[in-house]
Amino acid sequence: MAGCFKMAGMRWSVVRSFQTFCISPNISESLCCLFQQVRLKHQNYPRLRNPIWFVKKERTKYEEHLTQQNKSFIRDVVHDKYGGPPAIIGGVSTYQQSPLKIQPMDRGSWFLGCRRSGLIARNIGIYPMWLKDGTRVLTTLLQVVDNHVIRYIPPEEFNPPRTSVRNPKSKRRLGCLLVGAESADPQNFTKEYCGLFKDSGVMPTKILGRFLISPEAVMQPGTPLYASHFKVGDYVDVRGKTIYRGFQGVVTRWGFKGGPASHGVTKTHRRPGNIGSGGEKARVWPGQKMPGHMGNRYRILNGLQVLRVNTKYNVIWVKGQGIPGGTNSIVYIYDTFLPLRKPKEAPHFPTYYPEDEEPLPDEIYSENLHPFTAPTIKYEENV
Amino acid sequence: MDMMNRRNHIDIPEFYVGSVLAVSSSNPHAPEKVTRFVGICIQRGGCGLRAFFIIRNVVDHQGVEMFYEMYSPVIQKIEVLRLEKRLDNELLYLRDALPEYSTFPLDMEPEYLPEGSAIPVNPIKVKLKPRPWLERWERQELKGVQDLGLPKRFYERAAAVAKPWEKYDLMAEYRESIPAEEQEEIFAEVYSQLHQLEVTRKIMKRKRTFVKPKKMG
Repeated sequence: MAGCFKMAGMRWSVVRSFQTFCISPNISESLCCLFQQVRLKHQNYPRLRNPIWFVKKERTKYEEHLTQQNKSFIRDVVHDKYGGPPAIIGGVSTYQQSPLKIQPMDRGSWFLGCRRSGLIARNIGIYPMWLKDGTRVLTTLLQVVDNHVIRYIPPEEFNPPRTSVRNPKSKRRLGCLLVGAESADPQNFTKEYCGLFKDSGVMPTKILGRFLISPEAVMQPGTPLYASHFKVGDYVDVRGKTIYRGFQGVVTRWGFKGGPASHGVTKTHRRPGNIGSGGEKARVWPGQKMPGHMGNRYRILNGLQVLRVNTKYNVIWVKGQGIPGGTNSIVYIYDTFLPLRKPKEAPHFPTYYPEDEEPLPDEIYSENLHPFTAPTIKYEENV
Repeated sequence: MDMMNRRNHIDIPEFYVGSVLAVSSSNPHAPEKVTRFVGICIQRGGCGLRAFFIIRNVVDHQGVEMFYEMYSPVIQKIEVLRLEKRLDNELLYLRDALPEYSTFPLDMEPEYLPEGSAIPVNPIKVKLKPRPWLERWERQELKGVQDLGLPKRFYERAAAVAKPWEKYDLMAEYRESIPAEEQEEIFAEVYSQLHQLEVTRKIMKRKRTFVKPKKMG
């Protein structure tokens, strides 16, 4: 079994045989590595270090034949532990958390260039709004449903396999903040998943997301995050998973023009046409646009202005439509990275705490947005 | 709630496709900053804040249509000059009809109906101009149009292309409408405010009808 097999199929069979060989416990680890170095060049790719929250989430449900007493006992236990059953009505969680669990830690202060946490929201729809000069603008409503900080991993311990997409050699040390959205009945999840939420005192959430933050923006696990985290007039980036469109042809996927519909064209109405240039590099270049699976990828929309915030239902009106994912999908909202759109005043840092400040009004409108409670727009006589 | 807040500032009256309306809206480019347009409503559509209606009139032998959004804060006043219905849900065929069917005087006076009466249905049959038309009117079941006078082959083709099963499509109807249970929920939230608005509207109507005879005498 010398190592000069050129066909991929043969190499794979070599790999498989060595894999089975190495799995048996009698072979020492060093021998395994030796075999891998010599023979198995492409094994163990990609080298992943899975994060701690990469556990099985949903539990297969069996017929448990619980009696009525059992069910009520479980309900009481959940009630005692968390202070109430999970009930999200209209996007607002109805159970109250005990204030003793949430004692604010030392809060950092904002400085230019720091990163604070974002929010996990649900895209509930697109509505038109009018500005004060009569212009009609389409806005997307993003509802922040029951966000809580679950865990913080300081930069010394946090070691993701891929640090930064733009600048892999950056020495910036960012901590990882785990935020959960939409709490649900713990009976639906596995024990390992529920264990992630043990220290925070929050009911297990359906959605778990991470935000990379500077260590000054750390928050106590269990802190609730509200829509007022973003001020009206600020700019945000929204990241979502695009709608899955399946296997799509080249016209839909890349916007090719295809061929003519008539004039004797045979079977070339939506085909890509030529894929190479011929000549010196007589091959198809890598990255050639071809049909394939389209959608179901994370994409970020930058520089969306926050026009209106509703503090009662935690809804953010964001200017623009076409947020990736469509209606009823989960999105992540961050402060903009665009340098010319960064806020000039300090935002709520690390987040908006309702007990610190005066209660905000139900609806907060941007300066140039026309609230429907105001009278009809009338233009003044200019010379 | 946004729609209710807007309705507190402007009274959006009850009207149907076929009613004659006068809409005053603020316009920064007009000399008096207000544009008033009178015409017949040919189409109503949209849902919620996007609800719109299109008004048509013939001004100086030129057909003009204005598209208005009902909840736009730029609209100052919507008056119903003649409240009536027609035999069709959409009067887009007026674009291919003789201009006399779409002309309405710009200084038309509002016509009042006795209170509590049913909305009158105008059984007028409109005469269309000779072909070419903007749409194939023979393929749509239009009741408010006179006999089109086309050769037989048009009607045969229309029958061949027709989709009579669409009226039985329950899922399409379900998709386009809000189910009854949700309608009741929404109505329960909004009912009291709507009722108040209706009461104020009736009071204003009575005041108007009372004032008119005094002016004449």
